[in-house]
Amino acid sequence: MTTTAFTVRADRALADPQLKLAIERTTGTARTKRAAAVAAWPEFAAARMLGKDIKDHVIAHLGHYLAEFERNALASGAKVHWARNAREACDIVVSICRDAGARSVTRAKSMLGEEIGLPHALADAGIERVETDLAEHIIQLAGDPPSHIVWPALHKTREQVGELFRAHHRDPGAMATVEAMVASARRHLRGRFMAADVGISGANFLIADSGAVCTVTNEGNAELTTTPPRVHIVTAGIEKLVPSTAHAMSLLRLLVRSATGAELTQYTTFHRGPKRAGDPDGPSEFHIVLVDNGRTRMLTDGLADMLRCLRCGACLNHCVVFRQIGGHAYGGTYPGPMGAVLTPVLDGLPLSQDLPRACTLNGQCQEVCPVAIPLPTLLRGWRDRSWREGLEPVSVRGFLGIWRFLVLHPALYRLATAAALPAMRLFGRGGWIGWMPLAGGWTRHRDLPQPSGRSFMAQTRNRKPSA
Amino acid sequence: MSGARNEILAAAGGASTDPAAIAAAAARLLDRVPGLRPDRVSGRPADAFLLRASSPAMGATAERVASLADFPAAVRRYLAAWTLAPALALQPHPALRALDWTGIEIHEAIGLDEPVAAGLALGGIAETGSLVFHSGPDAPTLFGFLPVHHIVAVEADRIWPWLEDYAAAFAPASQPRNVNLITGASGTTDIEGALVRGAHGPGHLHIVLVDPDPAPPHPDFPATTIAKSI
Repeated sequence: MTTTAFTVRADRALADPQLKLAIERTTGTARTKRAAAVAAWPEFAAARMLGKDIKDHVIAHLGHYLAEFERNALASGAKVHWARNAREACDIVVSICRDAGARSVTRAKSMLGEEIGLPHALADAGIERVETDLAEHIIQLAGDPPSHIVWPALHKTREQVGELFRAHHRDPGAMATVEAMVASARRHLRGRFMAADVGISGANFLIADSGAVCTVTNEGNAELTTTPPRVHIVTAGIEKLVPSTAHAMSLLRLLVRSATGAELTQYTTFHRGPKRAGDPDGPSEFHIVLVDNGRTRMLTDGLADMLRCLRCGACLNHCVVFRQIGGHAYGGTYPGPMGAVLTPVLDGLPLSQDLPRACTLNGQCQEVCPVAIPLPTLLRGWRDRSWREGLEPVSVRGFLGIWRFLVLHPALYRLATAAALPAMRLFGRGGWIGWMPLAGGWTRHRDLPQPSGRSFMAQTRNRKPSA
Repeated sequence: MSGARNEILAAAGGASTDPAAIAAAAARLLDRVPGLRPDRVSGRPADAFLLRASSPAMGATAERVASLADFPAAVRRYLAAWTLAPALALQPHPALRALDWTGIEIHEAIGLDEPVAAGLALGGIAETGSLVFHSGPDAPTLFGFLPVHHIVAVEADRIWPWLEDYAAAFAPASQPRNVNLITGASGTTDIEGALVRGAHGPGHLHIVLVDPDPAPPHPDFPATTIAKSI
C-alpha cells in the first residue's frame, strides 16, 4: 500500500484508542436514536422519497428558484450577494464586516463557512471571531478543525473538554461534570453575544417564495448570534433552496430525525429581512451570500444527486470506516461518505483520490440517507474517474494488472490461489493471521482470518448439483 | 458582482421552463404530504399539543388553565415551586400587560441572564409540541433565548394540527423578521453525545395552555398541574 497523507492520518487515528471511544460514544447514541425515530414513523420510506423528489425538483429548476429567492429576499429588505467560489464568498463577508466597522463577530455553526475557509479569512482581516455553538467553541479553543458535520467536537472526550475550559475560561468552576462544562461555556459566551458587531450564520434552507432563511439549532446560539448585532450575514450554498415553507417542513421531519433522532430541533427559526420598524431587537442590516463553489459544476459532472444532501450526518454515523478513523483523517471539510463524494469536487481529485476508496461499499450510507443519495454509486464514479485519469498509485495499478491477467487465465488463477492458501496458513495462529508479507496495510491494525482448507473453486468442483 | 450572479444563474439552468408549470409541479409534491406524516395528531389539536409539549423527550413542562386571566396565578405557582424570586421580564404584549400581576415585580427590558421571563406565543403546533413566535413590537426575539426559565401562555384555539397548517396560515410576504418555532428547552449533546439542558437558551420551558373549553380529560394526560419535573 502506498503511503499518502490520507493513510498517514488514518494510521494515526487508528492508533488512538481515546479517539475510537469518543467516536463510538456519540455515533452510537445517534444511531440508536435515529433507529427509534424511524421505527416510530411507518411512512418513513415514502416520506424519504418525497424528500428526494422535493430536492430533485429544486435542482432541476435551480435557476428559477434562485431568481425567485433573490426577488423575495430583496423585497424583504435583505441584501443578496453572489459568490462563484470560496475566495469571492470570503471577500464579500470580510468587506461587509469592514463596512460595518466590525471588531468582533459571533458565528453560529455553518459547514459552508468551514468549506469556504471563513475562519481563516476573518483572522487574516484582523477580525475577532467568536464561535458560539458549544462544539465549535471547543474546537476553536483547541485549534482543531471540525471532525463531524453535526458534532464538530466529537473527537474530544469530556476530560479533554474540561482541560480546555480550565485553561481558557475566566470562571471555569469545578468542571466535574458535563453540566458544569456547559454552564461554564454559557457564562463565557454570554457577554460576547451582545458585544459582537456582526453575527454570521449558515442556512439549513432558503425559502424561495418568501426570501427567508431557515436555521435549526438545539442550543439557541443561532438566534443569540443573529439578533443582537447590528448586521446579520448568512452564507449559504445555492443547493439549500426549497420552493416554500411547507416544503421545508417535509424536509425538516427527515433532517432532524436522521441527525439526532428528535422530531424537531428545539429552535427552528426563519429569518426574513432586517428588523422592521418598531421591532425592539434584530439586526438593521441583513445580508445573504449565495455561494456556488463547485455546485453548478456538480450538475453537469454527474453529481446532481449529491446536491440533495441535507447535511444530517447519518451517513457518517453509520459508516464503518468513519467509525474507525473519525473525521480528521479524511482531510477535507466534510468527512465520511458524503465528504468522500464532496471533497474531490472542492479540493480536486488528485489531492483526494484516496477518499472514494476508503469505503467498503456496504451501502449503509445510502440506506440511512434521508434523501436517498446513491453514495456508493457516486463513490464508484470517482474511483472510475481516478483510474481513467491515471491517478491511482503505481502499486495499485500493478496489483490490478496482475489480478486482471490471472482472472483472464483461469488455470493460472487456480494455480495461484492453490499456492497462496497453504502459504497463508503458515502465518496463521489460532485461526487468525497477525502478520504476513504484502498484507501489512490490513494486519497493522487488525488480524486477518486464516483461510479455510480449500478454495471456493475447489469446494464447488466437488459439490453435486442440487436437484 | 453582477458577473458572478449572471454566471451562476446561467450555470444553474432550469429557468427556461414555464413558471406556472414549475409551481404546479411544486404543489403536486405537497399533495403527497397528508398520507405520510408520522401519526402524531389525533383528536383535538390542543390536547395533542399538550401531550407532546409535556412528553419527557421535550424537556418542558405544561399545564392547562381556563382563561388568560389565570396565567399570573400559574406563574406564581411555578415561581413558588422553583423557589424563585417574585420578579420577571414580561413580554411587552398588551394582553399580558392587562393581566393582574400583583405580588410579582414586572419589567419589560430583558437582562442577559434574566432568571424568569413570561410570554404569550402566537400559537402552537400539535404535531411537534412547538410554540410559534413572530417577532414584532410586542414579541422581541430575545425573550425566547435570554431567560433561564421561560413561561409561555398559548391559546388553545391557536394550535395548528401540523407544521404545514402553520405554514399555510401566513402569506410568505407577511412574515416578520423572525419566526421562531420553539420545541422544548435549550439543550446540547456536543460533549460525548450527553444531553445537557440550558446550553445558551432557556434551560426550563413551562407551557400554560389557555383552554376555556377543554375536551373531557385526555386519558394520557392528567388535568392537574405539572410542576418541576425536569
